Amino acid sequence: MTTTNHFILIILSMLVAFGPRFIPLRIFSTREIPQWFNEWMKYVPVSLFTALVVKDVFMNTKNYTFVGFDYMAKILASVIVVAIAYRSRSMGLSVVFGLVAVALLAMTFPL
Amino acid sequence: MEKEQPRWAEVFKIAMPLCLSYIPIGLACGILLNAAGFNPLLTALVSMLVFSGGAQFMIASMLTTSAPMHTILVMLFFLELRYALLGSSLSQYVRGTSKKFLYFFAVSLNDENYAVNYLKFATDKEWTPKDALMVEHYSLLFWTLANLIGSLIGNVIKIDLAIVDYALTALFLYMIVMQIKNKLTILTSLISAILAIVSMAVLKSTMGLVVATLIASLIGFAIEDTLVKKGHTKGFWLKRIKPKASRKVISR
Repeated sequence: MTTTNHFILIILSMLVAFGPRFIPLRIFSTREIPQWFNEWMKYVPVSLFTALVVKDVFMNTKNYTFVGFDYMAKILASVIVVAIAYRSRSMGLSVVFGLVAVALLAMTFPL
Repeated sequence: MEKEQPRWAEVFKIAMPLCLSYIPIGLACGILLNAAGFNPLLTALVSMLVFSGGAQFMIASMLTTSAPMHTILVMLFFLELRYALLGSSLSQYVRGTSKKFLYFFAVSLNDENYAVNYLKFATDKEWTPKDALMVEHYSLLFWTLANLIGSLIGNVIKIDLAIVDYALTALFLYMIVMQIKNKLTILTSLISAILAIVSMAVLKSTMGLVVATLIASLIGFAIEDTLVKKGHTKGFWLKRIKPKASRKVISR
């Protein structure tokens, strides 16, 4: 893709990102949110983030097959990240230690 | 009595942990975008206009596998769809603001500043929509700068991209941990993991993520609803899990 195409992609991405952020905010800032909707929404982020992690750690994203424990470095690094996140509750620490862990583990385990 | 500080400084102190944690992730994202062929100017632009770690990492990795533009946009739409949920849960706190304000607020809303603002709105009566917007803008500034610097670093040194790519996964893992409130959240997470594997393997696309998210969240919601109706609010599944460390890192 050329720079012009990249620019078009950015503008379209902005619109795609803006819709879901703006429309519900606009609707529900004047109307009451149904109680069940809020209760349901509580479980959406945890479900989505888990699915995204699973995609990176347990799936081959070229042909979408389950790879089991093939990416051992990522699996071990993920255990470390969860422990650090739980103890420190700091996003920065979790990411930095995660990167260091995966870099070190990739030397001995398949990434 | 504490010394009276200007409001922007007080809000900055609250946004600070968030801003700092954007630096490593922003650097990683900038490096990946550079590898995907974005020049530093475009990287800064996408950071300001899209302002979403997940979306930008995805743009970078899909461009390196030369996916067509419409595929990237469809994937982004599903990824960004979660902001609909974040937005609707914040909407009760931004009642009575102008349409213009909502426009600006929505543009720079994302997962992390949402977490800070939601917590502040829920616990601090003094917290105003204007403060919340300021938090968004501080995080936007740090995010854009980190991306820009990452993009410039990527030009100079060679870095293993598969490793940098893991920054996003670490970020999501962190957000999962922060979402864990009781054993039912853990169960929902496990259900989502299994559903994600099955649905991605069957659908052969990231649509599986959307399917897994919708079904798992509905199951979590249904279980909670059933438990509450039976009066098990303090039972095994719904008893609150207290974090070992204090929450001050993100909540103050």
